[in-house]
Amino acid sequence: MTPDLCLICIILIPLAATGLALIHQGLGRSRSAAHAMLATLCSLAIVAIVFVLIGSSWMGFPGGLAHTLHVAGRSIDWLGAEPLFAIGLTSNLTHGPYPAFVLAFGIFAAGLASLIPISSGTDRWRLAAICAASALFAAIVFPLFAHWVWSNGWLAQLIPIFGLPAFTDLGGAAVLNILGGLAALSVAWILGPRQGKYADRIATAIPGHNIVQVLFGCILALIGWIGLDCAAAILFYRITYPEILLTVINALLSASTGCLAAVVTTQLRYRKPDASLSANGWIAGLVAGSAGCGRLSPLATIFIGLVAGAVVTLLVETLELRLFIDDPGGAISVHVGAGLWGVLAFGLFAPTTGSRPALILTQIIGIATLLGVMFPLIHILHRLLNKLVPFRVDADGDWQGMDIRELGAGAYPEFVVHADEFVPR
Amino acid sequence: MSIGYLLMLSGWLLVLASLFLLAGLGQRLTFVVAGLLVELLGLILIALRYRSLQRGPE
Repeated sequence: MTPDLCLICIILIPLAATGLALIHQGLGRSRSAAHAMLATLCSLAIVAIVFVLIGSSWMGFPGGLAHTLHVAGRSIDWLGAEPLFAIGLTSNLTHGPYPAFVLAFGIFAAGLASLIPISSGTDRWRLAAICAASALFAAIVFPLFAHWVWSNGWLAQLIPIFGLPAFTDLGGAAVLNILGGLAALSVAWILGPRQGKYADRIATAIPGHNIVQVLFGCILALIGWIGLDCAAAILFYRITYPEILLTVINALLSASTGCLAAVVTTQLRYRKPDASLSANGWIAGLVAGSAGCGRLSPLATIFIGLVAGAVVTLLVETLELRLFIDDPGGAISVHVGAGLWGVLAFGLFAPTTGSRPALILTQIIGIATLLGVMFPLIHILHRLLNKLVPFRVDADGDWQGMDIRELGAGAYPEFVVHADEFVPR
Repeated sequence: MSIGYLLMLSGWLLVLASLFLLAGLGQRLTFVVAGLLVELLGLILIALRYRSLQRGPE
């Protein structure tokens, strides 16, 4: 491990969070902009505290303590067993600074993943519910799956247990993005669409209020994503220095091709490039490319980015128009759609000395675990939480905007952009 | 809607069972893909149920 480089990469990750925050608040309505940014800050703050107190114990780290199950003569490592409240961090010196690096990375990674559902719940998800859902995510959902993939859990130990290659997710396409995207899908289903979105069963376009911030967020996200991909690959896959440089190149390539594919796709479909979908294509490229960031060739990464960018525009449309899922920021299409493609593409294109079908098989096992275990778990937790802390703002709040309703002041007090909240209904 | 979630979980159990019970790569791949398809069927059922709730009665 290269500690200095790893530290720099970890410090870059908050830029990815800043980017995502700008994107989801820019794609929402102006009357909920301040609420979206405050929700981002609160979510990051809660995740940091809860992850250090509880989540880090259950995520653990490679070579750390773990709970195991013995099934059919095989030992299945299913949950970290480090001390709670990170109290082992200062006393356990046998692993050197490595556990502290994993903890620091975990805080930022969990924080970034917890922001993804805020995007799909923009304009109607209450602040208290966002905080509670973020706490659950950092305490249970993220540590569980992160342990399975990154901390020598059962998905990382498919070789000794089942004689298959280990499930690989170098940059967090599965652990962060698909997991966060599945939480976004669950939130969108529980909240339902924004008022007026599907009046008379026809989808009404509710355009984002600040596309410049959205596109600026894309640039920030690129820098943060490079840090995220490099830090995860250094910490959990011990990539070499040339592979770190390859990670940087691949991140830029996947984002570029994702964006260009979305520009071309929207140009062909709507006769003009769509800025918000192109921004989604940029992030989709980053997400898809992160699964194999340090191991895939640039040519394979270009192909992966192109497919991700093209597919995400179609997915956004399908979810909105055919499945009636109101996802203002396109988080579900970007993080689940592109993430699944990226994880599968690693199996298809990663260099291997062993059997290609076996590599594909392990990547499918990871996908099946995300869909078959993690999504039902996330949705059950969200539905229980919804009973305790109702997710959705009341009808008046929906119409008024979250800024006035929950914060008492708008993000842009000098401008009366929407007059309809003052019109009697 | 809960049938959809049960299908998703059943699909994963099929995947897990294939890993424990089968040894050949081809057999495992077939059953893992079948398990994934069962999960997707569950997801589609949930999505269709949600859509019908949003659209309301015809």
